Amino acid sequence: MQSLLDIPRGARSLLKGMGVTIRHFFRKPVTVEYPRKRAPVAKAHRNAIVLIEKDDIGSHNCIACLQCEKICPSACISITGSRPDGIAFKRPDKFDVDFALCSDCGLCLDVCPTDTLGYSEVYDAAGYSRADSKFDLLEAWRDKEGEALGTLRERERKKKEEREAKRKAAEEAKAKAAAKEKAEGKEDDKTGNGTAAS
Amino acid sequence: MPELIHVGRDEDRDTYYLNMGPQHPSTHGVLRLRLLLKGEEILEAEPIVGYSHRAHEKMAENRNYIQFLPNTSRIDYLSGMIYNIGYCQAVERILGLEVPERAEYIRIICCELNRISSHLLWYGTLLMDLGGFTPFLYCWDDRENILDILDEVTGSRLTYCYGRFGGVTMDVNDEFLQNTLDFCKRFRERLPEYETLVTENIIFQNRCKDVGVFDQELAQDFALTGPILRAMGHKRDVRRDEPYGIYDKFDFDIPTLNGADTFDRFLIRVEEMHQSLSIVEQAVSRIPDGPVMAPKVPRKIKPPKGEYYFAVESARGHFGMFIVSDGTEIPYRIHLRTPSFANLSSLRSVLRGTMIADTVAILGSIDIVLPEIDR
Ligand code: SF4
Ligand code: SF4
Repeated sequence: MQSLLDIPRGARSLLKGMGVTIRHFFRKPVTVEYPRKRAPVAKAHRNAIVLIEKDDIGSHNCIACLQCEKICPSACISITGSRPDGIAFKRPDKFDVDFALCSDCGLCLDVCPTDTLGYSEVYDAAGYSRADSKFDLLEAWRDKEGEALGTLRERERKKKEEREAKRKAAEEAKAKAAAKEKAEGKEDDKTGNGTAAS
Repeated sequence: MPELIHVGRDEDRDTYYLNMGPQHPSTHGVLRLRLLLKGEEILEAEPIVGYSHRAHEKMAENRNYIQFLPNTSRIDYLSGMIYNIGYCQAVERILGLEVPERAEYIRIICCELNRISSHLLWYGTLLMDLGGFTPFLYCWDDRENILDILDEVTGSRLTYCYGRFGGVTMDVNDEFLQNTLDFCKRFRERLPEYETLVTENIIFQNRCKDVGVFDQELAQDFALTGPILRAMGHKRDVRRDEPYGIYDKFDFDIPTLNGADTFDRFLIRVEEMHQSLSIVEQAVSRIPDGPVMAPKVPRKIKPPKGEYYFAVESARGHFGMFIVSDGTEIPYRIHLRTPSFANLSSLRSVLRGTMIADTVAILGSIDIVLPEIDR
């Protein structure tokens, strides 16, 4: 008996459900026909890490401090660096990233002192073997490296000059101050003596 | 297809073992259920876990506190934000680190959005297990909306690593807040649709009502938490009982029901989505300006020697972290108390005596996430 009563109830709930699906039928599709169309990537989206160009250098500004390599929980970064002539800090000779290991945690971006790490825009890099996910981040910058080094050297030289100039200025100022102090000191002594006497 | 193994006892030819899983679509991951059946009745059910064990707890002993951050969201990839932020909150409480107000609000918004997305996924998959394909797609659509919103600010879609000790990595902008509000509005319109389509559906009701009733003793025996416990009539929620973050500033209900069957567990989760929506709306309307990162976070995290326990309410229940520190940068031990593990343990008692066709409904209503059970 119960099951008989269920029939009209069931039919009603079925029709109501159909009503909902029919309404959906006339709505705009929500899917994107990948790969013919590509979904937009959020600006903050995390992908493989890359070195970002710094305008004032014309290249990346990695100083091979190895902080990112040290903090990476997945050990996917390997860097070696050396100091080129005429520059106060190091530049990387090798910057390899194994994206297959990367957990996109963003810790390396947090620690980078020169803010030179960022995320790439490619979100569907696929490969046939594990080697396909190993990226050499310096590859894109190799031909610009010479120029960048030039800029950096120039900057270093200017800095040095500035420092030299500052040092000289400071020395002069010091000498002046010392001379003044000497003069003031004498006066101080006089007034000091005066107060003590009174 | 599940593999059939005939036990081969001649006198009892209808008793046999059925392996459900590990690669069964309705076991939500790699769970293996060894069912001893007599005809269609389940005599004994044994969940066998461990297929996706990744040793998160062991990994914690080999890395420092900061480096454990990406692991947290991978414990439970469906509500990763809650785990990620929860771990940050645990360490912050140990260190006595103050989190800026704005960061707290952002955390709440993200966590509650994540809770909704986790419930939506559960909703869709439960329905699909029961044979309804359409709601699954609708849920996916709404869930996608949340993932897009969270992607804009966290940079990830599932395994978030957004929290940092002392705040969050990135500030949210007005667009994010507007998108969140838009989602809330849209989702409030969608929920009645789900109701017509699913909750009122008579086939669904018949398959869920009085199916998989949990005995009250089970709650204590297996330390059940989360929606399952609330469907048994117990008003327990870590967000209320031991408020963490700024949950005490929000106005929300802890829904409870008394039936303890599959249908009640379903209704509880739907109601929780409503509550989470209201929390999100409150948070968005009250979010203050300011920094999102504490000004003085120590570069080296070295909690004082001792043992600490901190719990948050994940989408599945009480998620606890037991952290033992020996005063160094590397945790001595982090034990994770995950809700699904405790909840799944009760399955053996619940499934005894039920029909095999109800297994997926009961299993689905417990809402397990295997990586969280295996860790
Ligand atoms: S995002 Fe995380 S895992 Fe990936 S390279 Fe950076 S530190 Fe390593
Ligand atoms: S932390 Fe930044 S500057 Fe240092 S090695 Fe890494 S990328 Fe280069």
